[in-house]
Amino acid sequence: MPDCDAMRENMPLLLTESLDPVQRELTHQHIETCPACTRDWSSYKETWRMLDSLPELEVPARVKQRFLAGIAPELAETNVVPFHRGRAVRWLAQAAAIVIVGGSAFYAGHRVAPRVQLNPTEARVSGVQQLVPAAAYSIAESRVLPAASISPQIEGRPDIQNVQFTDATPSNDQIGVSFDITSHVTVTGHPTDKSMVSLLRYVLENEDRESPSRSRAIDWVRSTYSRVDKPAPEIIDALANVLRNDQHQGVRIKAADTLQSLRSAMTDSTRDALVEALKNDPNPAVRIKAVEALAKLARSGAPLDPGMVDMLRQKASQGDENVYVRVKAAEALSSIQPR
Amino acid sequence: MRLTIRISIAAVTVLFAAQLFGAAFAPGNRIVREFPIDPAGSIWIENPFGTVEVIGGEGKLVSVTADRVITAPDAASMKDAADSVGIDFKGDTKALLMWTVFPPAHNARWNVAVNYVVRVPRGVSVKVDSKLAEHIRVSHLSGGVTINGFAGTVILDDVAGASSISMVNGRIVYDYAQRPVSKAVVQAVNADIDIYLPPNSSFDWIANTINGDILTTFPVRGGRFSGTIFHGTVGSGGPTIDTTTMMGRILVQAKGTKLSQAQSVRVNQASHQPVPGDVLLQPPVKIQLPFVNGDFNSAASVADVTISEVRGNAHIVFGAGRVELGAVYGQCNVTSMGGPLNLGDIIGALFAHTGAGDIYVRVARMGGQVTTDGGTIRVIVAGGPMTLRSGGGDIIVRQASAAIDAETTSGDVTLTADPKQKTLKATARTLQGNIILNVSPHFAADIDATILTSDPDVNEMHIDFNGISVRREQVGNKTRIHATGKINGGGERVELYAEEGDIHISAHTITPIKVASPKR
Repeated sequence: MPDCDAMRENMPLLLTESLDPVQRELTHQHIETCPACTRDWSSYKETWRMLDSLPELEVPARVKQRFLAGIAPELAETNVVPFHRGRAVRWLAQAAAIVIVGGSAFYAGHRVAPRVQLNPTEARVSGVQQLVPAAAYSIAESRVLPAASISPQIEGRPDIQNVQFTDATPSNDQIGVSFDITSHVTVTGHPTDKSMVSLLRYVLENEDRESPSRSRAIDWVRSTYSRVDKPAPEIIDALANVLRNDQHQGVRIKAADTLQSLRSAMTDSTRDALVEALKNDPNPAVRIKAVEALAKLARSGAPLDPGMVDMLRQKASQGDENVYVRVKAAEALSSIQPR
Repeated sequence: MRLTIRISIAAVTVLFAAQLFGAAFAPGNRIVREFPIDPAGSIWIENPFGTVEVIGGEGKLVSVTADRVITAPDAASMKDAADSVGIDFKGDTKALLMWTVFPPAHNARWNVAVNYVVRVPRGVSVKVDSKLAEHIRVSHLSGGVTINGFAGTVILDDVAGASSISMVNGRIVYDYAQRPVSKAVVQAVNADIDIYLPPNSSFDWIANTINGDILTTFPVRGGRFSGTIFHGTVGSGGPTIDTTTMMGRILVQAKGTKLSQAQSVRVNQASHQPVPGDVLLQPPVKIQLPFVNGDFNSAASVADVTISEVRGNAHIVFGAGRVELGAVYGQCNVTSMGGPLNLGDIIGALFAHTGAGDIYVRVARMGGQVTTDGGTIRVIVAGGPMTLRSGGGDIIVRQASAAIDAETTSGDVTLTADPKQKTLKATARTLQGNIILNVSPHFAADIDATILTSDPDVNEMHIDFNGISVRREQVGNKTRIHATGKINGGGERVELYAEEGDIHISAHTITPIKVASPKR
């Protein structure tokens, strides 16, 4: 795109704030609307930032000679007494470096795979490793991370989408890049680890996800936690919520089945969910599993609240209820010892 | 000072006049009280734990004797129990309420039962609420009686007024001294109901039980069943005696006859038109057998059946119950109105239906039809064509070697084609859920897959084969995603339809399930 070429030429000047206001505005507008230039502009800014962070070193004479010979042969031939660079010269050097790096990147970008690879200096990488303490990895919907906490090594080819660039406070030198990233994470731990329990609870209750994943999660929870003496109450509550809220009848059947099979002290929430399922669930299989779970609870000698007993009594006598549900409700009642 | 004394005296006088005063057992464990009552007044007794005896007689007084029995392991618990449980009385000459006062929550180390003996004028109405009682006996009353309890034996002896008894567990005995003149409603869940009446009684009888039998020594006219409910007339008819118990037995016996003379009214009359629910009139069974040498036929209202091997055909019809058959060498026909079915190796054709519950079939060698009105259907090996229907629940076939027709109202359908089959006819429908079809990479078929979804960003078609064209179109406020085409050159028709779900046709190497030959 012809515009893009012109805009890319403007980018170094934009960085050094040497562009006139009209051109500056036009360039910014173009960058905001052109994804390719957005990427290039990000590269320029990152390069500029990196250059700015480099220590000031004396340029070896032969390098300087070669550089000057490259940009202005007549200067190289002049016998000039060397002196320490002033600030303007440093900016000029930075601008020149930008031109070289940016131009090279642009040139390479048209010939090789469109992949930007940054090579941070050793000093910077070691600084990141030393300064940023290992923080707990939090699984979150949205996070803001300082660049220093991100490893410069991008592993594999993560799917980065919906990229946006922000500059909330133009007066400082902080910018923001926000994006959605899809990455595959494996979390390992004991079934009773708090993090593992929270993660599983989230998976179980995340009804937005398609049912096979929740069905599999319930199957897995069942097989895993049936070996655990006291599954975490959060897992039990999550299953109760699935039983109470899930639209998918197959999933509700599994949730009720799993609640029945786990060896755990039932929470009030679980009891309520089972009573509610027995009372209202349109699927008779869910009601069967709910009444079987309550019967199991009654047989265990656990105290049953009057509401639960009333519900069992009502179900046993309800003429239009499935006969098996009625029989199981009656069996549950037969094992209740009033207290 | 004088004023205080006067007020105190006035207060005590008012309390006595209104019959409002509580009572504590201490220092003894017996309370005795008397209250005046109208001959047609009413008495309410609330006693969660302990026996209650109400005896009708002459006079205008209610006489209450309450004995408290404390069970505690030590003196401290005993004192705690003694301090916690008392009796309260409220009311006037029209209505008197007496109830045992328990703390809302108490130390589980002690138990207290209070046993009441209450003598009342014959004409009063009596209402008793109980949780656990060795017995509740009401006798010699002409007023109405209402008893609501959870567990225990209820005995009504010479009660002439209208009565309503509701219990869960225990037994109910109703002994009429005279011909019934008032309506009686006797309901229970697990209790047997025994009613004894003079032989010249006339009444209309309603009886309803699922698990028990309905027996009588009376000649019953016009007996008929409506579902499990029996209606009949004894003598010339009269007040209704309504007897209902879910799991217990109902006996209505004429005094002077023997129990051995009682006959079941469940034996259908010749005029009875058979209906599917008749199975509920069959006696319940509990069968546990290692094998049956030949055919097995069974019909029962409530049943639990476990048979390892049926060396013939199996024909089972149950009202409710759990059925577990290890192997059936012949045809297998199981129908239950509710309860899970667990079927092993079915060599002949299979027909299995339950009104509610999961169905598990290990091997259906010749295929067949498996349906549940609600529950999961899981078939490990479908050797022949199968029709699978669920009113709500997942359907899973681990290895289908012949045509499959699966449909569920709400649930996922997961079908895995036998890798030895080059092609397979399959139809799968779910009105809310996903369909997953697992096939080997060389599987060939004509695919016709449709998703109808209100969220096309979430529900997707995943097909691991080339040659499928996918179209999207708007149908009302939903999107239809329709995929058609031939895979591996085409073959049998595979028709998949999912609403609000995904369709996956997944190609991967499948290890076939080996089915051992039956041991004959």
